[in-house]
Amino acid sequence: MMKIKEGFIIREVAGNFIVVAVGSAVKQFNGVITLNETGSFLWKKLQDGCEKEDLIDALLNEYEVGKDVAEADVTAFIEKLNGAGLLK
Amino acid sequence: MPKYKIADVVFEAKLIYGYTERLCKNYEYDGEQPCDFSVVITNDDVAKEKALAPEFVEPYLESLALFRKLCDYCLEHANGIIFHSSAIMVDGKAYLFTAPSGTGKSTHTRLWRELLGDRAIMVNDDKPIIRYIDGKFYVYGTPWNGKHHLDTNCRAEIKAICKIEQAKENSISKASTAEMLLTIFNQTIRPEDPAQMDRLLNLTDKLLTQVELYKLGCNISKEAAELSYTTMSKEKNDEN
Repeated sequence: MMKIKEGFIIREVAGNFIVVAVGSAVKQFNGVITLNETGSFLWKKLQDGCEKEDLIDALLNEYEVGKDVAEADVTAFIEKLNGAGLLK
Repeated sequence: MPKYKIADVVFEAKLIYGYTERLCKNYEYDGEQPCDFSVVITNDDVAKEKALAPEFVEPYLESLALFRKLCDYCLEHANGIIFHSSAIMVDGKAYLFTAPSGTGKSTHTRLWRELLGDRAIMVNDDKPIIRYIDGKFYVYGTPWNGKHHLDTNCRAEIKAICKIEQAKENSISKASTAEMLLTIFNQTIRPEDPAQMDRLLNLTDKLLTQVELYKLGCNISKEAAELSYTTMSKEKNDEN
């Protein structure tokens, strides 16, 4: 199962979704991540922990996208998060 | 212990070096208002600053340690943040120019002073404090005033924040909140404490939605200052 590490918070600031680190997570990640609407949707699922398939299904249920697009979006999103070391 | 009033916050500070006392001289306070907080700078505080910026000498690092404590207090109790920028006041309204160091924000506010003469007053050239009071944003001068030592012990309501980029041709346009969000985060102190981070995010949200946001591409010329001043000083109902 994939899950967002402790210490990262998502917030909407003036209509933009951003993720920042707090507490000891700041030592690992000191930047700011901006997310689009889909990204914030996926992020919130990942906060509770889920499988890749769950994310694809969630996208298909929530947005009018095809399975290929949903899969590609989810894969890209997970890579982005892994690149920044945000998943456990 | 000397007392100071910076950003309308009154505090007393026990310091190690004379440098910080001299730096804060214009902000000494002998009025009746009680202290909002009291701070003791220790060698440990100075050592922490040294770890972040080893190139600086201890007396200067002590002043940064004091600044950090003041900013912490402001965020926690006074709806205040440091916003690394060059802040200038014209006809009572403040304009804040922000950019990575070396881009030319101090140069641009100097051009404003050349253009506007006595009407333009430097609030602070490097590290002003912004506060949200009764639904409005104000910028305050602080003694941490940058390499040209420009600051005034005053406050002014913020009209606009402008992000600067160097460019051959001058141009200015409204900036989106998305464009300005990271700029603000990069030009303030990001707290580790979750409650403080929450306060910072709340203030940033209000700041981005309440003040006018611009992006300016500019060269070093009188025309650059004319363009930014004319555009940014317009009242909202003057538009169209």
